[in-house]
Amino acid sequence: MPGRAAAERVRKAIALVNAVADGAGDEDITPTEIAEAIRDCLELREIEQGSNVRKYLGEALDAVSDGMPADFVAMTLYAALGALGESR
Amino acid sequence: MKSAEGRGRTLDEAVDAALIELGESRRNVDVRVISEGPEETVVEVSVIDHTVPSLGVGAPTNGKADVARSLVEGLLKHMGVRAQVTVRTGTDPITLDISGRDLGALIGWRGETLRALQSVTNVMLGRHLAEGERVIVDVERYRQRREHTVREIALRAARQVKMTGDAITLDAMQAFERRAIHLALQDDPDVGSSSIGEEPDRRVVVGPRKPAGS
Repeated sequence: MPGRAAAERVRKAIALVNAVADGAGDEDITPTEIAEAIRDCLELREIEQGSNVRKYLGEALDAVSDGMPADFVAMTLYAALGALGESR
Repeated sequence: MKSAEGRGRTLDEAVDAALIELGESRRNVDVRVISEGPEETVVEVSVIDHTVPSLGVGAPTNGKADVARSLVEGLLKHMGVRAQVTVRTGTDPITLDISGRDLGALIGWRGETLRALQSVTNVMLGRHLAEGERVIVDVERYRQRREHTVREIALRAARQVKMTGDAITLDAMQAFERRAIHLALQDDPDVGSSSIGEEPDRRVVVGPRKPAGS
């Protein structure tokens, strides 16, 4: 189903960021892992060039690189998830 | 503020005992777990004072809670959601409770929408918060109920581990739920917990605590 794989990958990235924000107590998640999860989303062909989904994912990746707070990265990824839902 | 102590074999039993003493329903109370063990759970149940609209007694008094409440009220208004926002008393970090009718959509699938709302709230409040400080947003006590549920699951799993000696792998959970389990079992001398797998399928394993040095 188109979009499902993308949604799953975005949710994985969100879960990683939320785990950092919530501090589950036994987490050791690095910004590199989060960036990799976002890049995994961007590699999907079903996310069209120039779409809002790609734009938000790009912003989330930049936010990770810039060391922005986890909540900011999460918010941007939620925006990508929302845009993905709208595009379906 | 009216409060009562409740004791029981499980968290639910302890809360129920206190609710009976207070003559209140779960919707109108705050629950604080005093101690949780395999034999007995002790809680303090306090009636929420609805006459205090925002900053209640014991709430953070630095104004941040009030700013956060106003902000969430504004967000909900823009979303077209009619709901009441209150600051949960006596909690750290600041916790905002959203209550109203038909707020299921605000919780979303596995709490996703609620979580997104919390992220937006914290980003918007950024300059009002100290580094590392966060605001928790809860809808109809969904988050609190989930935490209670997973604590119950943790204690039940711990009892089973003690009986069988075998480790138990629980269902995949979100970070705040895993945290609740780790906290519930941290003082248990016989049973410990750890997480395995990758997000979003990360699971908690409850198993016998290894003797020191082995």
